[in-house]
Amino acid sequence: MAARLSGGGGALTYFLAAAGLIFIVSPLVVVVALSFSEASIATYPPVGFTTAWYQRVIVDDEFRQAFLTSVTLALASTVASFVLGLPAAYALNRWEVPGARTIETILLSPFILPILITGLALLQFMALLRMRDALTNLFIGHVLITLPYLVRTVTASLKQVDRSLEEAALTLGASPWRVFWRVTAPQITPGIAAGCLFAFMVSFDDFPISFWLSNAENMPLPIYLQNSMTKVFDPSIATMSSFTIMTGILAVIGLEKLVGLRRAMSV
Amino acid sequence: MTASVLQATDMPTRRAVLPKWLAGIAILLPALAFLFTFLVLPSIILLSYSVLTQSESGDISLPLTLSSYQRLVSGPAYRHVVMTTLRVSVLTSLFASLLAYPLAMAIAYGKPLFSRITMILVVLPMVVSVVVRTYGWQLVLGNSNTGVLNWLLQLIGFGPAPVKVMFTEWAIVIASVHVFLPLMVLPLAASLGRINPSLNEAARMLGAPAWRAFLRITLPLSVPGLLAGLTIVFSLTAASYVTPQMVGGNRGLMLGVLLEQQINTSFDWPMAAAIASVMVAIALGANVGVEWLVGRRAAARLRRSRAR
Repeated sequence: MAARLSGGGGALTYFLAAAGLIFIVSPLVVVVALSFSEASIATYPPVGFTTAWYQRVIVDDEFRQAFLTSVTLALASTVASFVLGLPAAYALNRWEVPGARTIETILLSPFILPILITGLALLQFMALLRMRDALTNLFIGHVLITLPYLVRTVTASLKQVDRSLEEAALTLGASPWRVFWRVTAPQITPGIAAGCLFAFMVSFDDFPISFWLSNAENMPLPIYLQNSMTKVFDPSIATMSSFTIMTGILAVIGLEKLVGLRRAMSV
Repeated sequence: MTASVLQATDMPTRRAVLPKWLAGIAILLPALAFLFTFLVLPSIILLSYSVLTQSESGDISLPLTLSSYQRLVSGPAYRHVVMTTLRVSVLTSLFASLLAYPLAMAIAYGKPLFSRITMILVVLPMVVSVVVRTYGWQLVLGNSNTGVLNWLLQLIGFGPAPVKVMFTEWAIVIASVHVFLPLMVLPLAASLGRINPSLNEAARMLGAPAWRAFLRITLPLSVPGLLAGLTIVFSLTAASYVTPQMVGGNRGLMLGVLLEQQINTSFDWPMAAAIASVMVAIALGANVGVEWLVGRRAAARLRRSRAR
């Protein structure tokens, strides 16, 4: 789109937007800057420059374990959400299903219900069922919060597909199955890949579900970080946080490369 | 049209084993069953605890009672928490919308490079854990001179530690605006991007100054995105736990933190369930309420245009 910000109003908009961007990056920059401090406590101003905290954190067993738990959970819940969400969204958008609106509302309901309560309800439910395996419970909880992202992304991708291509293929005698694989799937793949990546990050960053369902042996990274913050006061907290910020940066690059950020965020 | 074409071409070649809608239900079933088992059913069980009684030993059973809700409404401490939650959520969504407008304008109308950078920096925090972002705000807002803001202010000559916002409602508002800002900017930018540029050009050509064109054209046409953003930010702030817990302290006690205390400190499940019900009601109320408002607005516009 052509640039349409000009004159005094345009300059003011750019200025306010720049101020907004400073507000957005400042808490992240502050954390990363502190992770290189030589001081032994995590306060400002940082002192000198050292990578010692990184060397220490990277060999820390608990941190590595938490990171691994988070990555495993995120991968597993994204795959499960994909398996559950793709066919559901496809059926909703391509077939005449009675009550499609209601079903869609149910599929997207984890967006509206407070996640803190979803997690607590699941904790209590699993206790009633005597399901005590924390990893399974975490997995189920994380699927609950990643599934709606998959449903939404697949729906958005399907809406962008040119329906006349699908109809043409059907008219020419291709089976619906073949139409899906040869016509629809290639067009929706990048969008769905971006959706999976975002769902992965939603699980990787989750706090309110894991908060209820994790235990000492199965502690995802955000829970481990928050626990450490109440016990450790040196810059290693900032260093561990910087690792998650870097993961976020990688994810944004991935989204930008896959479909472009604006399409990934439907802007 | 689409459906009829699909059916017409479909029928003679492939004799469907199942009617299509039945196949649709079958394919939807796994996802629906999963959500029903692990979301709907557990939520109903949890919320039902709010009208049950907890015995000395911790068992939750009949008789039905509204005493948890009564305590929530009549106890001044509880009422204070409800009010704090609503106040913080309103302030957060208002400030987020003010901050979001220029950012969304920059994304929708800015020069390509600036628009792209803005988009990247707006999305980046979305994929960084709330715990890390709130930790950043703990560092920025620290009440003593070791907080970033106070340190900077002292450097440029304001007295020692002039800012004392940490562990107040304002700290929650500031950090929550940061946490939920992307969810305000993105729908707003989408809304702004859909506005037909020739409307603005026409207004300018007819002599309207830029600010007037903004107030009379851009602003009203971006209301759908604005309302979507306000709804999301309001309901997520009201339901948040991490941010108020980490920067709110005792003076910024919100419903999420109170809920956690009822479970982990007081072991009072009926009370926790009552708080959960209030949180669900706030979230549903905001979403349904705005949908109703939008529907009414559209209907009113339709009536007006017919009257003309």
